[in-house]
Amino acid sequence: MIQLQHVNFEYKGSAFGSIRDLSLSVRQGEVILLCGASGSGKTTILRLINGLIPHFYNGTLSGEVTVCGKVIAQTGLHELAGIVGTVFQNPRSQFFSVDTDGEIVFGPENIGLAPDEILRRKAQVVQEMDLQPLLQRSLFQLSGGEKQKIACASVAALFPEVILLDEPSSNLDWKAIGELRRIIGQWKAQGKTILISEHRLWYINALADRVLYLKDGAISQEWRGDDFFSLDPETFRRLQLRPATIARSFLNTQKEPVEAMPSTDPITLHDYYFCYEQTQHLFRRHLSPHDTKEPLALSIPSLTLPYGRVIGLIGHNGAGKSTFLRCICGLEKRCPGRITLGGQTIRGKHALSACYLVMQDVNHQLFTDSVLSEVLLSMDSPDPERAGEILTSLGLQDYAETHPMALSGGQKQRVAIASAIAANASILLFDEPTSGLDYIHMCAVASLLSALSAQGKTILVSTHDPELLTLCADEIVQLDHGQLAAQYPLDDTSLPRLKAFFEGSCS
Amino acid sequence: MDTTITLKIPHIHLDPRTKLFMVFVVSSIVLMTATTPLAWVLRIMITLVPLLLLFSEGRGISALCFGLLYTVALLLMKFFLSTQSTGVVMALLTGYCGIVVQFLPAMITAWYLIRTTQIGEFLSAMQKMHIPDGLAISLAVLMRFFPTIKEEYGGIRDAMKMRGIMLGGGHASKMIEYRLIPLLFSCVSIGDELSAAAITRGLGGNKKRSSATELKLTGIDLLLMALFAILAVAFIIAKYL
Amino acid sequence: MNNQTLAAKDFITVGLFTALLFVVEFACGMLGYLHPYVVASYVILIPLVGAIPMMLFYSKVEKFGMITIMSILLAIIMFVTGMGYLGAPLIILSGLIADLIAKSGNYKSFRKTVLSYGIFSLWVCANYFPVIVSAKAYREDLLSGGFSAEYCDALFRAINTKTILILVILCFVFGCIGAFLGKAVVKKHFEKAGIV
Repeated sequence: MIQLQHVNFEYKGSAFGSIRDLSLSVRQGEVILLCGASGSGKTTILRLINGLIPHFYNGTLSGEVTVCGKVIAQTGLHELAGIVGTVFQNPRSQFFSVDTDGEIVFGPENIGLAPDEILRRKAQVVQEMDLQPLLQRSLFQLSGGEKQKIACASVAALFPEVILLDEPSSNLDWKAIGELRRIIGQWKAQGKTILISEHRLWYINALADRVLYLKDGAISQEWRGDDFFSLDPETFRRLQLRPATIARSFLNTQKEPVEAMPSTDPITLHDYYFCYEQTQHLFRRHLSPHDTKEPLALSIPSLTLPYGRVIGLIGHNGAGKSTFLRCICGLEKRCPGRITLGGQTIRGKHALSACYLVMQDVNHQLFTDSVLSEVLLSMDSPDPERAGEILTSLGLQDYAETHPMALSGGQKQRVAIASAIAANASILLFDEPTSGLDYIHMCAVASLLSALSAQGKTILVSTHDPELLTLCADEIVQLDHGQLAAQYPLDDTSLPRLKAFFEGSCS
Repeated sequence: MDTTITLKIPHIHLDPRTKLFMVFVVSSIVLMTATTPLAWVLRIMITLVPLLLLFSEGRGISALCFGLLYTVALLLMKFFLSTQSTGVVMALLTGYCGIVVQFLPAMITAWYLIRTTQIGEFLSAMQKMHIPDGLAISLAVLMRFFPTIKEEYGGIRDAMKMRGIMLGGGHASKMIEYRLIPLLFSCVSIGDELSAAAITRGLGGNKKRSSATELKLTGIDLLLMALFAILAVAFIIAKYL
Repeated sequence: MNNQTLAAKDFITVGLFTALLFVVEFACGMLGYLHPYVVASYVILIPLVGAIPMMLFYSKVEKFGMITIMSILLAIIMFVTGMGYLGAPLIILSGLIADLIAKSGNYKSFRKTVLSYGIFSLWVCANYFPVIVSAKAYREDLLSGGFSAEYCDALFRAINTKTILILVILCFVFGCIGAFLGKAVVKKHFEKAGIV
């Protein structure tokens, strides 16, 4: 079905993700999992198969890639459209349409199928994937999981024989990953040939026929699917992969001991109410739970957080995690919430200087042309010496003059953290800091969060990664439908509770 | 709110060609100011139709906002302001109201076109009008990108607030730089990913693009086209004859 | 990849950058309602600020047609937002000439890019076309449209057949200056970040 023969590829101007003398042959109906660190060439392999290399991305290519007997280098991308389908990582950027219906039929329309055939395919895909509730909606209003589902449907409507998925779970919560798993299972049952590049491995268990471990652009190890998923945790850690099953993720991670902060007054949050619907009042007034008929997107009358700890914020997509973080740091003006911190009460706009949110899309937070000036920008009076210290403490000293956008995702995150420290924020908020990160980088984030809390920062991190929580969280706050569902310290006795939450949400 | 409104007003979905024709008529009429009472009536009518259509497409809230803005500007101009208004505030207010009354009808119609037209529909309408594919794709991307830019800019504004650099530290050039640079970075990378996703699904191939729903001009389409043609002619007569 | 016909990717790039340029124009345009002299200063403001996305756009242009299509899209936008169709031929013509100039430098020569963007910037002047071509009628229109007499007088002092030549020249000159500025920004940010 797919043949790669002695393929070498290097992107123009960058060695990152290049492929060295790689040969691979995939049979029809096989499901293959590609794993390995970022930059090991997983995505490059997919791009070689769907023709984006050499038709879209420039670089030097040697060797031959054939799919269904077609030589990719000599086949136009539009000819491949009905043969190879690709689901990309970022649900936000892979839409051409603005509405769900249009997106599903986008591919079939492009290849010029007859209207009846298009509608038949659409009906079939909608029925198979259970998409009825998503039809006739604006894509800009869907959650990440729903968008990714539409992306899958749009690819499936082309009836491709080969389906490629490039880290499809990066921006999804567990429930959505569960659905993704079901969709992949369905494709497998239909006999499609599937290649998945992923960091999160557990959901592909029992789906993958073959697992390829990539290192430096070559296949360094290969297993049968069953063998791979029954490898012992030690091997996974050695290969620097994320755990293969949920259960094991709680076994093979151990929190690093962090020197406890001397006990300080806890931080209390009061009156965090928020409602998305703009209420039609002439004068803006603050929300309270009593005066609105709309269900509140967020309703937390009071919450006490330990000072100088890492607090994990969990809950399904739409449970109000991101909204809560935005309200805490003062970005939602209509939220009446206030923070009591060391005897001081902070509310409204003033929260902006006490808290700092490291956004999920960290690209929005980088403004200047060098890492150093980025840090200096956050200081009231620029102090290059202190900025240097901060960069050193985050391992960024070598990049002081580099443009922040030239850095990797994890490094950009650290630049954002550096500016938060420079701004003297005492509460640091993180929105999904590890989505799309590989195992090593996730561990790096975990130890960074621990280190920050040891310096007296209070950290609130919203996440879908239980691995991250077990690595660094001291306390868990669980939200459900905008309300506080549970709060407990994370230790050996409460681990099963956390596990139950994640397992419950993926079934 | 939206749902209750859609229940009351029948859902009217027009052919993109009708909408384009409406945009053409309205954009032409806004170039000419109304000078007689009849012309004013006609001008208000061409504003009301797209507003009602927005309602019927379940976009009651935006229709209400537009309608309110237009009405307020109209009333202010009619009763409180005159060309003799002096003073900075009055002059500014006159200017703003003038702009709103003058150009809002075109904005509303363009908004109506953009927000209620599916991209696939739009592309096939362009094809039926024999517009070259490339130009149609560019136009479709142009339409699609405004909400994306809005979304990205929202994120950048939030980040600026947190850094306290909304005013760029007092430098106009920094104010522009801090907004524009992250926006360009985001949009360029979204554009690349969008291109990759669209091309792997066959966009821009040499096959003629088809359409899931065959576009057809219905009675209501013809009715509205006729109405707008008559309004346009009537306006010109009212103004110049 | 290397053939000279435009592909879907190029059309998407054009659409994207036109959207960005329009957003810049719109943001600058908002300032114009403050005072008519600001309207005249569009010829300085828009070529300068617009140069930032445009120089990034030029760095992505490799084939003939992209700049021309952008000018067609701009003409359409100007018409739809009520700026009239009188300027459309000027916008498209300047786009076409700009494209030809850039092509003569194989889309690589920076000197040609400066010249090309200077010409392209003339689209900004299209906004003044109604003021010039039908000055008298336009004035009446504005007055009956509710603009104050003061505003109109100032507007026509700033923009008339005599000054339009100056405005066109200003537009071109600031377009060229903008190109250097935009190029500097592209160097400072996008080249340094390895995007271009």
